[in-house]
Amino acid sequence: MAAIAPIDLTAVLKDAPAGEWIALSRDEQRIVGTGKTLDEALSEAKKQGEGEPIVLKVPPVSALIL
Amino acid sequence: MQFPFVVFPSQPSGAFPGVKTVKRPLLFLTFQRGQKIINGLAVVDSGADECIFPASWAAQLDIAIPNQNTYVFSGTADAPQLAYFENIQIHVWNNAVSPSQIAFSFDLYAGFCETLEHVGMGLLGQNGFFSRFPIRVDNAKNSFDIDV
Repeated sequence: MAAIAPIDLTAVLKDAPAGEWIALSRDEQRIVGTGKTLDEALSEAKKQGEGEPIVLKVPPVSALIL
Repeated sequence: MQFPFVVFPSQPSGAFPGVKTVKRPLLFLTFQRGQKIINGLAVVDSGADECIFPASWAAQLDIAIPNQNTYVFSGTADAPQLAYFENIQIHVWNNAVSPSQIAFSFDLYAGFCETLEHVGMGLLGQNGFFSRFPIRVDNAKNSFDIDV
């Protein structure tokens, strides 16, 4: 398996509010919405012209063990 | 088909004072049910029995919760957790080539649960994902292969 570059979201998520829903542009370069609920983040993204963003959260803890 | 790891910001801790990022084997996915869609991330998690996603994504797909397709499971929390299942379609993005380009799609009996709300991403586990696709993870090379 040849090495490929990872997708680095550290810059775009650097100042993202922990624990809130975040809507990213489809090219993963911009935050186009945030909100305490998913609906709030999607609504803000739609106002920014990003009707089908990528949604995720930055958990308020450092690591995930699921 | 090769997919890259995804790197997130992290906070240094007492155990790992020099760690400022964390990398995970994640897929960018479009979840579809009829005309309804939502785009999100899911961890490729060989330790998960099922494929489970945050409950709020179900609402975006017009999946009523609660429904009768209930499933009680255990995670790292001490209390049993409840998921509600429904049939959906998953479209896997091939970000290594181009953002949001679809690499492949498959049907999935997917669970949705409140306890993944705080994580904000889903889990692609054994039943429905690893049961369907052979997967090789290479942490050192920041990538994983899925035989489609």
